Amino acid sequence: MDAIVMNVFVAKKFVIVLITLLIVSILAFLVPYVGSDDPARAILRARTVDDALDPAAIEALRAELGLNRSLIAQYLGWLWRALHLDFGYSFATRTAVDVMFVQALKVTSLLAISALILAMVIAVPLGTIAAMRPARMFDNAVTVFTQTLIAIPEYWAGPLLVLFFSIHMGWLPSAGWRDFNSTILPVVVLSLRPIAYFTQVSRSAMVEVLRAPYIGAARGRGLTASQTLVRHGLRNGMLPVITMFSLWLTSLLGGSVVVEVIFGIPGMGWLLYDAVLNNDAPLIQASIVFIVALAALINTITDIGYALLNPSVRLTHDKA
Amino acid sequence: MTSIVLNAKKEVGAVQLAEPILDIRNLNVGFARNRLIAIDALDLTVRRGEIVALVGESGSGKSMTALTAMRLLPVGAGIISGEVRVHGRDLLALPPSAMNAVRGREIAMLYQQPKIMLDPTATIGRQIAEPLQIHRGLSLKDAWPHVIEALRDVGIPEPERRAMSYAHQLSGGMAQRVMIAAALSASPDILIADEPTTALDVTVQAQILKLLVRKRDEASLAVLLITHDLMVVSAIADRVAVMYAGRIVEEGETRAVLRSPRHPYTQALLRSSLLAAEEDGRLYAIPGSASAARGLSCGCRYHPRCQAARSLGIEERCRSQEPSLSTASASPGHQSRCWGVQVTAGGMQ
Repeated sequence: MDAIVMNVFVAKKFVIVLITLLIVSILAFLVPYVGSDDPARAILRARTVDDALDPAAIEALRAELGLNRSLIAQYLGWLWRALHLDFGYSFATRTAVDVMFVQALKVTSLLAISALILAMVIAVPLGTIAAMRPARMFDNAVTVFTQTLIAIPEYWAGPLLVLFFSIHMGWLPSAGWRDFNSTILPVVVLSLRPIAYFTQVSRSAMVEVLRAPYIGAARGRGLTASQTLVRHGLRNGMLPVITMFSLWLTSLLGGSVVVEVIFGIPGMGWLLYDAVLNNDAPLIQASIVFIVALAALINTITDIGYALLNPSVRLTHDKA
Repeated sequence: MTSIVLNAKKEVGAVQLAEPILDIRNLNVGFARNRLIAIDALDLTVRRGEIVALVGESGSGKSMTALTAMRLLPVGAGIISGEVRVHGRDLLALPPSAMNAVRGREIAMLYQQPKIMLDPTATIGRQIAEPLQIHRGLSLKDAWPHVIEALRDVGIPEPERRAMSYAHQLSGGMAQRVMIAAALSASPDILIADEPTTALDVTVQAQILKLLVRKRDEASLAVLLITHDLMVVSAIADRVAVMYAGRIVEEGETRAVLRSPRHPYTQALLRSSLLAAEEDGRLYAIPGSASAARGLSCGCRYHPRCQAARSLGIEERCRSQEPSLSTASASPGHQSRCWGVQVTAGGMQ
C-alpha cells in the first residue's frame, strides 16, 4: 500500500506546483509593465549615453522586441517559449537569459549548499548535545553562541574575516570565485546564521523528542541513552531541521546579495540586482518564475522527504 | 461487566511455594522539590508465575513504584532508601549503566497509552527486535523470525505484514499487544504492567488480560499489575496490595481482600467500584481527597477520611500513632494497616 500512497501523494504535490507556476507566470510576465519605464526606452538609455532618445529608434526596437503586440499575445508567446526553456535575451547584455541563469546558478548553488551543509554538520551535533542536558552549562553556552551568531550581520562578519584571514594573515583570497581557497570565506560567512538557527531548531526539537513517551519505553527495553538517541531520537528530531534546511535553501538559492557583493561572486544575487537596476524585462520575468519554481520544487522535495521519514504524514494526506 | 472475570487465578498452594522474582523491601521514594513522600516504606513481593495487583487511586504511588523498579524515575524524584531485588540482586545498588542489561532482559514494562509508547517513525518490528538485538546480540535480520513469532504469539493477524506497520496504523488494543511482544521478546522474568488496559475498551481489556494470564502460565511470568480498577484485579490477580498515600494499607490473596476487606479504605474503594454498586445502581464516593494525607507527620494516613475511626471512637489513636501491617483474617498473608481491625480483633480475644 505504501508505494501507491506515496505515488498519489507525489502526483498531488506536482499538480499543485503546476497550478502555482501558471499563476505566477502571469504575474511575473506583468511585473516589468507595472514599472513606469517603457522597456524599449530603458534599453536604449542603457545602450547610449545620449539622453534624448530618437522616437523612431524606440518604435523600431518595440517592434523588434514584440512590445507593440497585445499583452495577451505577448504573454502567450512568452509562455510558449518559456515552456521550451527559452526566456529570450537580456535587454541589457543581449545574452540568452537561460545561459546567464545557468552560470549564475552554478555559482550560487555551490555557495549555498556548501554553507548549509557546513551549518548542518556543526549545528545538529551541537543542538543535540545541548538538548541532552537542558539548562546545564553546555546548553547555556550553546544558547549564548547562537544568539551571538544571529546578532552578527553578514556585512560586518564578511569584511572582518577578510581583514583577518586575507589581509592580516594572508592565508585566503579576499574576493573572487576561482579555486577552493576563494570559496572558504564566503561559505563560512554565509553559514553563520544558518548555524545559529539550525542549532536552535535541532536543540528544541531534540529536547521535545527526548521527553517523548516512546523514548522512555525504548529505555525500558534496555537501550542505553545513546542507543535511544540514535535509534529513536534523531529521526524524530530531524523533521523540523529538514524543514528549516529547505527554507534556507530556497532563500539562499535566490541569491545571497550581501555575501556575493562583498566577495565579488558572480551568482544569482548579482544577476537579480543588475536586472532590477536596468529594468531588464526578460531577466526579471525569468527570475521570478525561476525563484518560485525553485521554491515550489524544494518544498515538494521536502514534503516528500518528510513523508518518507514520518509515515504518519502519508496517512494524513491520504485521509485529506 | 462481570463477564470479564476469567476464573484464571491459580491454586493458592502453588503460589506460596514459588520463588520470589521481584522483592521490594522498605522502599522510600520522594520528590526533592516539595519534599513530598511518594512511596513510604513499601514492602512487596511478586513470585514466579504470580500476578500481584497494586491498587490505589491516582497519586497513591503506584506508578512511582513501577518507575523505581525500572530505575527510570522522572527528574526531581529520588530514591531515599530501600531495596528492589530481582532474583535476590538489589537493582538500586547497581551502577546506572548496569541497569541497561537488566531492563528488557530481567524486568520489562507495559504502559497505559501503548500508542504513544511506540516510536512513530520506526516499524513495530524494529522495536520488538530491539531487546533481541541488545540482550541477545542478534542482527535485525536474525531477530526478524523471532519478531514474527512474537507477533503471532500475542495474537496479531498477518504478523509478516504487521511487522512493517507503524504505530499510527494500529488500534489501541493492537498497540498494547505489540508492546507486550516487545516487552517479552527477550523473555524477562517480571513484567510491570502500569494500567495496561485503562485506555482500552472493555472487550479489548479482557483480551489483553487473558493474554497476560496466558503469559503468566506459559512462561511462569511474574506480573506486577498496577491498576485502579478492581474489576481487573478480581479478574486476574492472584494477590492484591492496596496502596494509599504511598503506604500499603492492606494486602492478601485477591479473594480474601475483595470478599472481606478489612481496611476502611479498601472497603470504601470496593463500595465505589462496579463490583459493588449500590442497589439503586449508584456508585459510592469516598468523602474527602487523598491530598488530605499530605503533610501528615504521624498517625494513619487515612484517618482524615476514615468513618470507622469515628464510629469506633478511636480517632485519637488513629491521629497520633500509625498502625503497622498486621494479620487481618484467617486467609494466609492477609494483612491490613488499621487500628480498627486490631482493636476489634483484640476485643474478640
